[in-house]
Amino acid sequence: MIEIEAKPWQTMVLHAERLYPNECCGAMLGHNKGGHKVVTESVPLENSFAGKQNDRYELKPEDLLAADKAARARGLDLIGIFHSHPDCDAYFSETDLKNSCPWYSFVVLSIQNGKFDHANSFLPDLDQTAAEPEEMKWPRS
Amino acid sequence: MAKILIPTALRQFTEQSDSVEVTGATVAEALGALTLRFPEIKKNLFNDQGKLRSFVNVYVNDEDIRYLDKTDTKLSGGETLSIVPSIAGGATALEEQAPALTNDEIARFSRHLILPEVGMQGQTKLKNAKVAMIGAGGLGAPLGLYLAAAGVGRIGLVDFDVVDVSNLQRQVIHGTSDIGRKKLDSAADRMKEINPNIRIDKFDTGLSSENAFEILRDYDIVVDGTDNFPTRYLVNDACVLLKKPNVYGSIFRFEGQATVFAYEDGPCYRCLYPEPPPPGLVPSCAEGGVLGILPGIIGVIQATETVKLILGIGEPLKGRLLLYDALGMKFRELKLRRDKDCPVCGDHPTVTKLIDYQQFCGITPMSTQPTTTSDSAVIDALELKQKIDRGDKFVLLDVREVHEYQIAKIPGSVLIPLGDLPKRLNELDKNADIVCQCKSGGRSQKAMDLLKQNGFQHVRNMTGGITAWSDKVDPSVPKY
Repeated sequence: MIEIEAKPWQTMVLHAERLYPNECCGAMLGHNKGGHKVVTESVPLENSFAGKQNDRYELKPEDLLAADKAARARGLDLIGIFHSHPDCDAYFSETDLKNSCPWYSFVVLSIQNGKFDHANSFLPDLDQTAAEPEEMKWPRS
Repeated sequence: MAKILIPTALRQFTEQSDSVEVTGATVAEALGALTLRFPEIKKNLFNDQGKLRSFVNVYVNDEDIRYLDKTDTKLSGGETLSIVPSIAGGATALEEQAPALTNDEIARFSRHLILPEVGMQGQTKLKNAKVAMIGAGGLGAPLGLYLAAAGVGRIGLVDFDVVDVSNLQRQVIHGTSDIGRKKLDSAADRMKEINPNIRIDKFDTGLSSENAFEILRDYDIVVDGTDNFPTRYLVNDACVLLKKPNVYGSIFRFEGQATVFAYEDGPCYRCLYPEPPPPGLVPSCAEGGVLGILPGIIGVIQATETVKLILGIGEPLKGRLLLYDALGMKFRELKLRRDKDCPVCGDHPTVTKLIDYQQFCGITPMSTQPTTTSDSAVIDALELKQKIDRGDKFVLLDVREVHEYQIAKIPGSVLIPLGDLPKRLNELDKNADIVCQCKSGGRSQKAMDLLKQNGFQHVRNMTGGITAWSDKVDPSVPKY
């Protein structure tokens, strides 16, 4: 179960809507207490995919490293990665799965016509063969 | 000695240490020392073949070992090693994905797959099909359910309405707990529940001349489940101009129609109805009523035609208008032909872009306003209540139908249905103070106009009708 607080959630949605029609990506920082994750900060990161970014994203490892360091410095954990699916459902695609990492929650935001529509969180397995849906809470307006 | 920084996610395996000091002459040895000390971490970094997992990057100081000697990269002591996952992904447009059916889908669609007319090839066509549904109401309900169940891979829903209790008598895609929700959300949830593999694009808007091309462009087939003439003409013209088939259905009281317009050399809606009816002549479902089951059968006919078009099997309902009469339980068929003089699909079209369909259908912003705008010509529910309480002598003339009067009425009202009014004018005193009232104010407006034309001096229209009375004065009066 992952719970995203209002401020980081706002940052994520804004980032996703601003980068529409391209995909956005970023990191989520917070606490993980026995599987109950609370996101208290979110960090928009650059989509470094070389090519059309409307249906692909890639995180720079050094950005991820920096996000992990930033989390450490604030006494937080890097607990999740978010990215957007422009004009597409918030599902965990084959591309998402094959390039995922089991250490994090993966939150996908569906942006339809430039506006946030819905979101889902997924937990990929070690072998990148399947991703389980994770219960997710966010401040619904 | 080298220092390995442990990512926060892996610290559960290192007794919460954020860095671990290890010895090793190469990266492989250093990581080996780490997994020896903390065995649990091993499966997170290495696969069963002992190779570094594809998502694991190792940095020596600031250098990615992929650009050095990989895990053979030498360490001289004092380096900092970082473990960084590589993460990417993307929605990847469906058409780029291998369209083959998964084993789950093969199981799900087995009754389709054993039909030689469908088979793997047909089911794959359905999976790759893109259908736009205009409206998630009466016709949209069976359409959405069956298109989702049939495995249509991508469905665009266009609707801006919310679920109302009065919808549930026929709009079976929505439930009681959905009242107040957007029809889009309610319908999409239900469709996903039936078939989680489909992609649903939600368009929370009315279809308009401004957005129609943008919305419909991505779809192969458009299914019209609308209930009003402006949108019907708009859908028709957009489909003709975009060269997409328009699977049409309409319902009224106990009768329905269905056909496929703008398909191949077939006719379009304008070939059948070049001009819209005058506004108000054909009542909507809200005004005229509709048998709840009727949209079920018409919507299912539309769904059948849609699936046939995708599969390319059978005889499409092209050039034939199917008429259904629920009371007589009869189907009839009318032949339709493309009109070579049709303004949109004819040989020399005059409509080559989308127009203002509200105006085309005679619906101007003015006509929704009372024709007589002086304040003395209208009275609202609260004023009417005061008038009754004061004991004013006046006639409250209810112009609805008898069966509506039986559902609910305002005490003291006199019933003369609008259709009977012209021949029953003699029952009313031309000098009397008269307030006309109906369900929501439309018919009573017409009644007032009629009375005034016939020399009645003191006539007013009750705005909002008995619905407003229920809302503002007496909630015990049921709304229908």
